[in-house]
Amino acid sequence: MIYKSVFSGLIEGPKQIQSNKNKTICSSQIQIENWGQKIRRKMTMFHFFNCAILTFGPHAVYYSATPLSEYDTLGTSVKAALVYLGTALVKVSENDGFDPYQELLKAVIGFIDVAGLYFALTQLTHRNISQNHKFQAVGLGWAFADSVLHRLAPLWVGARGLEFTWDFILQGLEANANLVLSISLAALGSLMWLRKNKPKTLIPIIYACAGIVATMPSITSYLRRGLGWHFPKVVGFELFTSLSMAFISWQLFSACQRPSS
Amino acid sequence: MALSKNSGGHRGMQESMYSVIALVFILVACVELCDAAAAIDVYRLIQYDMSGSAYGSRFAALNHHAASLHFPPGADLSRAVLVIPLRELNITFVREYINQKKPLGGLLFLLPDIFSFENGGNKQVHEKEQLKNLLAELEQLLIHANIPYPVYFAFENDEIDTVLADIKKNDAIGQPATATTGGYKLVIPTPEPKKVASPTITNIQGWLSGLKADGDTNQLPTIAIVASYDTFGAAPALSVGSDSNGSGVVALLEIARLFSLLYSNPKTRGRYNLLFGLTSGGPYNYNGTQKWLRSFDQRLRESIDYAICLNSIGSWDNELWIHVSKPPENAYIKQIFEGFSNVAEEMDIKVGLKHKKINISNPRVAREHEQFSRLRVTAATLSEISTAPELLQGTGGLYDSRQFVNETAITRGVKLVAESLARHIYGHQGKNVQIFADGGSLAVNPAYIQSWLDLLSQTPRVAPFLSKNDPFVMALKKELADHTDEVNMQHEVLEGVFTFYDSTSARLNIYQVASVTFDLLLLLVLGSYLIVLFSFLVITTRGLDDLISLFRRPPSRKVKTA
Repeated sequence: MIYKSVFSGLIEGPKQIQSNKNKTICSSQIQIENWGQKIRRKMTMFHFFNCAILTFGPHAVYYSATPLSEYDTLGTSVKAALVYLGTALVKVSENDGFDPYQELLKAVIGFIDVAGLYFALTQLTHRNISQNHKFQAVGLGWAFADSVLHRLAPLWVGARGLEFTWDFILQGLEANANLVLSISLAALGSLMWLRKNKPKTLIPIIYACAGIVATMPSITSYLRRGLGWHFPKVVGFELFTSLSMAFISWQLFSACQRPSS
Repeated sequence: MALSKNSGGHRGMQESMYSVIALVFILVACVELCDAAAAIDVYRLIQYDMSGSAYGSRFAALNHHAASLHFPPGADLSRAVLVIPLRELNITFVREYINQKKPLGGLLFLLPDIFSFENGGNKQVHEKEQLKNLLAELEQLLIHANIPYPVYFAFENDEIDTVLADIKKNDAIGQPATATTGGYKLVIPTPEPKKVASPTITNIQGWLSGLKADGDTNQLPTIAIVASYDTFGAAPALSVGSDSNGSGVVALLEIARLFSLLYSNPKTRGRYNLLFGLTSGGPYNYNGTQKWLRSFDQRLRESIDYAICLNSIGSWDNELWIHVSKPPENAYIKQIFEGFSNVAEEMDIKVGLKHKKINISNPRVAREHEQFSRLRVTAATLSEISTAPELLQGTGGLYDSRQFVNETAITRGVKLVAESLARHIYGHQGKNVQIFADGGSLAVNPAYIQSWLDLLSQTPRVAPFLSKNDPFVMALKKELADHTDEVNMQHEVLEGVFTFYDSTSARLNIYQVASVTFDLLLLLVLGSYLIVLFSFLVITTRGLDDLISLFRRPPSRKVKTA
């Protein structure tokens, strides 16, 4: 707008209106406005970048920090990601149900997740990786695919807008919680299906924890819609439960590992 | 060894869990969740050229930070929009800014609800009058200034009030809003305003024929009743002009209705033709009236006994004025004035006579009757205002809203005019006869007046923005057609002295933007979080020695941190 008026002023000659514009806007002010607009555009990209690293950074960090990177389990993660995409497609086709069946459907969807994980853990041919690393790689790939599918598009469209909201930062925290949950679910899954010699007393606990973790999505959606919790509260709850479930599954895993080691 | 490593890791994990939760609570508790962008309707200051000089606000698009009146002294406001509620307006401050041409990003005036149609408004009368005068003064200042930045008007509501309170808080802290600190950004994405091509003014006339006696070949005398219906104000999208001249239009329609009832029956049809004229172009020296009169046949013009122009009869208590151009000693003027005075006395109204000579060489036409007088037709204007208004003053601006008009005043005015006319038409001058008595079938209908007044108070009527087939103009035509025998519309182009620009209303988006420092801080927090996570994972899965060894020698693989 300012460019057009200045150029039209130069082209059309000093008419009364244009001369007023020229008086009030000098060239240095135009430069400052350009710079300011570039800054604003960069800032919105900056916010997008911040939220992106919050959402996807932990996955990369997890991969590089743990021995996963040394054993080159990227292939396993990628395969797990593809299986997740497959289950997501199945879920989409299940999505038209009435309200009374909503809760039941959500529980069913939770178990489709479990089935997908089962498939990823048992049926895919992995290279010779130890139990320990297999579940981590599968969980990592699973969580990464989930984040990309559900959070990348809203982030790209929304976080670059002018209006600032806390939503995307909260979404990133949710992605973190989801990563922890996926890994613990994969751990419990590997305990259930891949480990043959389990202490008898722990088996019901394992299955109970797996059930809780599998139904996490329906629990959070119930909290959000049924009880009307606000987003930050829900995210806090997710973080808390994911960390506690991770802790519990770690304990179970190490408990199961003790007799064999 | 595995046990100790596990317990050490267990403790480390607990600590990191606590720190993560603490971080979340700090982030959430520090700043409350901000609302989504608000969007409100705003109305732009008029932009026009008069005889080549530019007036009004010359820009429409807006994209700047918001600032309030409490800005720190010496702050640079050339990239800021000042948001000023009318109640806190200091007119000298605005006058200074405009006259000294100080750079400003934009102005947004917030008008109290009483000036909008929807609000009933039972505020104290004192406050209403004060605000009305202040707004009138502000309007006159803005209309006659050349302002090189956008100026908008909006009505106060809860959204904008909370935003303004927030802006004031930020300004009080001493943080001027710029690109690097947070705050509110006001965005109005409209294209540059364009000239309105060939603005049309439409005159509507209704003709009610009188009773011609058999064998009478002479033209019956005519009485004209005229009111201009268009307005001009600081915000053309809000210029509803309830008093100037909505009251005149409503009165004219009601008089037309009453006389159509009388004239429908040949036994009560008078020996005068009645000509009702709704003219446009009032604020521009009654340009429309002049064109309308020029279009008359010479015979018709000579047959007009006299014309009564109605202007601003909506907010008076006990006193009305009749403005004339011919000297009061003139026989016709005497007759008209006496007729009105007699009826006024019966109704407990005081009617005064104001005489102002017309100057043919001066293009300024302050009152409608002067256009008649210039063509040697006897005419008078009935108005509650005793002084002559200046150009573009008192033409139905922002302050002229429904709140300030009184239906009973219009009803009494209608009765006064109708009775005086009827006594003249039927030859009952001086007699105490009530033709339009209250409670009778010919009583003035207050409901009719109120409904038309409400309609007029919701319709902005700035002539260049009314197209030829504007629904409101069509409605006026239809109404007049119901009450008269013949209706004609005359379309003319507004004189070249005035040029108008469009873009009169827009939608303002208010965004809350985070500052650059916030983004940098967030980046820092995220970076440290990822580093902590990385170290934690390395320690728990590979052991502390591995972490230290990462720093001792050049890493074989690039460390992936944000």
